[in-house]
Amino acid sequence: MRHFQSILTGICIISLLSGCAQVRPWERGYLARKEMAWEVDPLESLLNNHIFFSKEASSGGNSAAGGGCGCN
Amino acid sequence: MQTMHLLRIISAVIVFTISASALSVEEGELAPHFNLPSIYPDKPSISLQELAGKTVYIDFWASWCAPCLISLPLYNDMYHRYKDQGLEVLAISVDNPVEEGLEFLEDTPLDFLIPSDPEGETAELFQVIGMPTSYLISPDGEVKLVHMGFRNGDMDIIEAAVKEVLEGN
Repeated sequence: MRHFQSILTGICIISLLSGCAQVRPWERGYLARKEMAWEVDPLESLLNNHIFFSKEASSGGNSAAGGGCGCN
Repeated sequence: MQTMHLLRIISAVIVFTISASALSVEEGELAPHFNLPSIYPDKPSISLQELAGKTVYIDFWASWCAPCLISLPLYNDMYHRYKDQGLEVLAISVDNPVEEGLEFLEDTPLDFLIPSDPEGETAELFQVIGMPTSYLISPDGEVKLVHMGFRNGDMDIIEAAVKEVLEGN
């Protein structure tokens, strides 16, 4: 019974892996669109960062380089 | 014991997944053959086999990829400098819809061959590692250079490799 449960758990875990779809470099057209950016309005983003820095005395760590096309 | 068995199965799946994604075309290998329609509806399809005996520079690009758009006019200049020595440039557009690539070409006319691969089948064949990625193919079909991305100074590296292959003919 325990053996059966282990196999069943294994199959469930492996089947979950099939849900991890890799977006290939040539499929990143939608991700590279402006509206897909975390912060669409750069001015608002700057203001928010300034407020955050004033309140928390720390900044950064909220962005990553690259435009989504995998070219950086 | 059963846990170990389970771990073995999971490890095998992970190793298989990683190895499957690491099969990109590399320098020294033979370039895979492909046949693609031109991005221009009135032009004939383009096949790598038909270009056998020529030095071919293949570039995968898209209109949404900023470095690609910088590189293409520079490839056009390179094409004009070396076409008489046997250089062919194929800039494979992976734009989907195709019209987005055509819009860019209306503003930036390019004189070399531009196949269209909207489903990414040829990109899959080459296992393109990023955008843009380019491949320099010698006349005997061997991949001489794989270049990913496009930054300042990259044109010198690419042109030096092209000259070396052309002089080797």
